Amino acid sequence: MDEVDYERIFDALPSPFMILDRNLRFVTANAAYLETTSSTLDDLVGKYVMDRFPEPGESGRRLEQSFQKVAATGEADTLAYLPYPIAEPNGTVRHRYWTAVHVPILDARGQVEYILQNTVDVTEFARIREMATLPFSSLSAATRLMERTLEAEAASADFRRLFQQAPAFFAVLSGPTHIFTFSSDSYTRLIGGRNVIGRPIADALPEVVEQGFVDLLDQVYIDGHVHQAEGARVILDNEPGRPPQEYFLDFSYNPIRDSAGNITGIFVQGMDRTDAFRATQRQRLMIDELNHRVKNTLATVQSIASQTLRSTNDVTAARQAFEARISALAGAHTMLSDRQWHNTEIGHLVQKELDVFSSDKVSFGGPVLVVNAKATVALALVLHELATNAVKHGALSVPEGGLSVTWSESSGDGLVIDWVETGGPPAQEPTRKGFGSRLLRTVITGEMGGSMEMRYLETGLRVRMVIPRAAYQVQEALFVS
Amino acid sequence: MSRDGRRIFVVEDETLVLINLEDMLDELGWTVLAQAMWLPEAERLAASVEAPDAAILDVNIGGVTVFPAARILAERGVPILFATGYGREGLPPEWQDRPVIMKPYTQRDVAQALADLMDTAA
Repeated sequence: MDEVDYERIFDALPSPFMILDRNLRFVTANAAYLETTSSTLDDLVGKYVMDRFPEPGESGRRLEQSFQKVAATGEADTLAYLPYPIAEPNGTVRHRYWTAVHVPILDARGQVEYILQNTVDVTEFARIREMATLPFSSLSAATRLMERTLEAEAASADFRRLFQQAPAFFAVLSGPTHIFTFSSDSYTRLIGGRNVIGRPIADALPEVVEQGFVDLLDQVYIDGHVHQAEGARVILDNEPGRPPQEYFLDFSYNPIRDSAGNITGIFVQGMDRTDAFRATQRQRLMIDELNHRVKNTLATVQSIASQTLRSTNDVTAARQAFEARISALAGAHTMLSDRQWHNTEIGHLVQKELDVFSSDKVSFGGPVLVVNAKATVALALVLHELATNAVKHGALSVPEGGLSVTWSESSGDGLVIDWVETGGPPAQEPTRKGFGSRLLRTVITGEMGGSMEMRYLETGLRVRMVIPRAAYQVQEALFVS
Repeated sequence: MSRDGRRIFVVEDETLVLINLEDMLDELGWTVLAQAMWLPEAERLAASVEAPDAAILDVNIGGVTVFPAARILAERGVPILFATGYGREGLPPEWQDRPVIMKPYTQRDVAQALADLMDTAA
């Protein structure tokens, strides 16, 4: 058997090999290495490796460290992934990626005499990896391919889990009868936990048929357009024996096509917007209600101003009367806002208007009785006009006069208020209907739908106001459309 | 231009606003045939009040809308002017083509709106 010509075999190896001494100087290199590095043996032999292929960056440092490690430890070292530019004779620099294996060759005493390097150009793999944005590994191409497949499957499972658990809802309908093949958790929640998989939609969710959703699905299935809807109202019959519930959904129906372009199913995706929709609706109602109240209040103030100015030519008197009326109105509003604009207790209303008078002249009393917001404002204005009249023309215009205000509630009449003035000048029916008496009559008989009796007696004015319960009873509904 | 003899039906649930409107209308030469402050009364009068030339209807009365009364008047061919704090936005599609005055309104607003209403009706 002939002696094996190792040198010839080394030179013939298709992969690049080179050998360094323990000082990292080139000893030799095979043809593949010379070709890859565009070198000749004369360029290399005896040269320090890092001088021949200088690389000031991270890659140069790693390469040199690997050589030093092999020289120091006598153990092989692999650089799995080494970006390393190679300068060609014409000056162009090629950016390549390498896997380098450094194997020590020991002398008889076990000391490192040489270091053998085998490099594999992995630039193409690296590019594929970069495109796939996956971390590089030093595995074989076949192993990597398997790994990629596993990763893809894991990613697909991740996607499925994402769809399954997403806050948005997803469902997949298959075939012309729209058979459920997938229903995400949120979709299942939306339809009340009903098990729909494997069933046509008309069978699984019968209530949506007459709401037109199956017709929409048919259209998407036939002509392939995407159907989108925002805030669509859907009634779902989620609990047997309970009334159906109203939902507002943003959703879309997207056709699913096979590789030949034929529609095979429909991808349903959407969001349950019911809560947001209700909140918007509630906010709209509140704004409308606020707007209504503000505008009405302004109209009321406008009316007070205009009525006050009509009643007298005396600017100072008009201003004082206007201010007092606005003040009475504001007082009623303060009481209402103290109670979240719900209702007030009638005793507080009377007290507020009559508190300025001493208690030996004015007395008032009656049962605790809560009245609604509208009645609060109306009664505050009535009490103010009556008190103003008493001060100007009635019992409170003289020191010896007195006033008694009492109220009661009966099941038949509702609220009865008696305003009784005594000890003042005889009451006289006014020749001309002033603002006060007009306001009184309109509030009591018109706005509150009650009745009023005014008696002008020698002893003073007596007024009985009867207000039906409907006009003052507290309503629970705060908002109206 | 005289508006003598013009007769109007008014629905308004706020006493002060109603009093002010009555005065405005009086000064503009309109006679208030009848007024209502609640919907049932408004419906009753809408059907029975004798030949009004126009109606001014507050949209929100006592927490409900005036539209049931408006429908009765519309069927009788009575020209309708709505009054509301919401403006035109407060009107449902059914009534969008009707004139609106926004609260609080002035006497000039009322005069102009009624003149337009009568022109359209004529």
